[in-house]
Amino acid sequence: MILDLIASGLVFSSIIVLGSIGLSLIYSIADFANFAHGDTMTVGAYSALVTFGAVGGLGGSLLGLPYGFFVALAVGIAAAAVVAVITEKVVYAGLDIGSIGLLITSIGIAFIYRAVIQLRFGAGFTRYDIQVLRPIDALVPYGVRVTLHDVAIVGSAVVLVTGLHVLLQYTDLGRKMRAMADNPELARVSGIRTDRVKLWTWVIGAGLAGAGGVFLGLFSRLVPRMGFNLLLIIFAAVILGGIGSVYGAMLGGFLIGMINQLTPALSELGSLLPLVPDAWGIPIGIEYADALAFVIMVLVLLVRPNGIAGEAT
Amino acid sequence: MGVRSIVADPSGYWNGLTRAEQGVSGFIVAFVVLLLFGLLTGGLAPTYFLFLVGLAGMYALMSLGLNVQWGYTGLINFSVAAFFGIGAYGTALASSSSSPIAGDLAPVVGLLVALVLAAVLALLIGIPTLRLRADYLAIASIGLAEVVRIIILNEDQWTNGSAGLRGIPTFFDGWPVLSTFPQTMPGIAISWLPGETIVLRQSFWQATLNVTLVLAFIGVSYFVLKRAHRSPWGRLLRTIRGDEDLARALGKNTYRYKMQAFVLGSLIMALAGVFYAHLNLYVGPGDLNPITTFYVWVAVILGGSGSNRGALFGGFVIVAIQQGTRFLNDFGWIPFDVAPLRLLVIGVIIVLIMRFRPEGVLPPQRELIWPSVVDEAPKQPDTGVRDAKAGESE
Repeated sequence: MILDLIASGLVFSSIIVLGSIGLSLIYSIADFANFAHGDTMTVGAYSALVTFGAVGGLGGSLLGLPYGFFVALAVGIAAAAVVAVITEKVVYAGLDIGSIGLLITSIGIAFIYRAVIQLRFGAGFTRYDIQVLRPIDALVPYGVRVTLHDVAIVGSAVVLVTGLHVLLQYTDLGRKMRAMADNPELARVSGIRTDRVKLWTWVIGAGLAGAGGVFLGLFSRLVPRMGFNLLLIIFAAVILGGIGSVYGAMLGGFLIGMINQLTPALSELGSLLPLVPDAWGIPIGIEYADALAFVIMVLVLLVRPNGIAGEAT
Repeated sequence: MGVRSIVADPSGYWNGLTRAEQGVSGFIVAFVVLLLFGLLTGGLAPTYFLFLVGLAGMYALMSLGLNVQWGYTGLINFSVAAFFGIGAYGTALASSSSSPIAGDLAPVVGLLVALVLAAVLALLIGIPTLRLRADYLAIASIGLAEVVRIIILNEDQWTNGSAGLRGIPTFFDGWPVLSTFPQTMPGIAISWLPGETIVLRQSFWQATLNVTLVLAFIGVSYFVLKRAHRSPWGRLLRTIRGDEDLARALGKNTYRYKMQAFVLGSLIMALAGVFYAHLNLYVGPGDLNPITTFYVWVAVILGGSGSNRGALFGGFVIVAIQQGTRFLNDFGWIPFDVAPLRLLVIGVIIVLIMRFRPEGVLPPQRELIWPSVVDEAPKQPDTGVRDAKAGESE
């Protein structure tokens, strides 16, 4: 059972990581806690739903997913990025009210995104029109029940995260972003066009969130509240990793996703660990998985406000 | 500025108001006229009207509470729904007939239980979070509010879980005269109005009692807060909001003052919860949804952070939005569900306020000053300017 939980933890972590990178980037470069980030994920998911409905399967399939779904994924990423850039241009850029004012504004933006989606699709849940797969046969004897879709989610997340790593470390834009995250004024006087870098940050952060939203829809289902429900978990991941640190956000997202899915195993910790009595365990049910993440978040804020990864990138 | 002086010189009073105050006054007058029109023509049932007033009072009460925390002290508390819920659950657990713990106690005992629980919860949330930076406090408090909601949802043996608590008595149950007041009042038929004959029955008198209760809660809270706001304590809170380092440099233990403001505000929010439990006669875990928190936030930033009048105004606007969108459902030609429309309106209002008027519609101005200082200060002292300068003679 523990292997199965680890496997689903990996899948869930991939989604959390995609969400938390963007939240952390925007926190450090646009300098506020973006409460609309979860709903940006929802925007991505529903854009993909519409696109997939329009283009269909397009013939062949890869990892159990029709080619059309990858087109839908790309559109979902693009739609989330475009919506975020428009919001930045129309709303955030014209505001001069400090980071708390921006935080409150972003709550309003979150409501607007969700309301528009709900006006069009209703409050109920829906799914992509893709056949649900059976678990991979070769892994079932080990108790691991993962589908090819789960493998596709983890694989795509790894590709996207690696791409971001290359971008941050080896390109001009990445260096500018890191400089700006470090010290915006210094970056500005050094001749970096901070406005343009900020726009690219929105594109990258919201794009990754859009991908996370598409995968979240594939992992469970699509509901207008899906992103908002996940937002606090993503905040927990970002804070655990250290706000403003992209690599911290990856690590935090991985840990929070794992802890979230492994919660059922905590009550029988004793039988899993060596050198510990079998009866020993943390008696906590699966219904407290989210609450556990929030408590971890508050503890990290108290004990180590910079997160486990320490300073910003 | 007393009522007498308004009557004596209405145009002078009107000219003395700021433009925003004039606008809000005009809005309120127009709204009252509209409601009266609805009442007189029978379009709005009196009992429902009183229910709306009760709801508006409930939001106004929560806004007053949040105003102490955010408006005075600058604490960005996103756990309003948790305190509202703990207030409602506190009184319900003590007084409802289906309570798994105590049950069937007098509602006054429930009120005390609710306030004690809210104070304990405020300390539990405040002790770890009030030292945090403002934006961390926002995230941590909404997280802890969710923890409270999840606990109430899942600990069936204490809270009945998702089934909620039924069989809550009305607040005046067991009081000498008031407990039977709705039954003993005669039904009054009103037939002299245009439209159908309206009969005021038991439910109308019950609603009247509820409105009286919420007005009493608001009255007590409002006057306590008005005094507190102008006191040295309130001045210190405003200093903390403006510049916490300054307050510390003056030798003040800002953590302690922030905690006091946090607990005081939370108690007022719990009062709103107590009222809600005895109005609705049912509480469930859904009442702790974070959307309540954001409604109250909209009321406070719309009214004007730090302004008690603004908080009252914001509470009424929220109910107008909530129930006004509900009326739209009656029109068949609207091609969509109006529930998301309400969300959209709230979101647009937040963005518009932050964009065009971040200080709110009725920002605190003269309410920070003792009225006597403004009214009785000589405009141009005849002699000795330095001695008789306005406001410094005391």
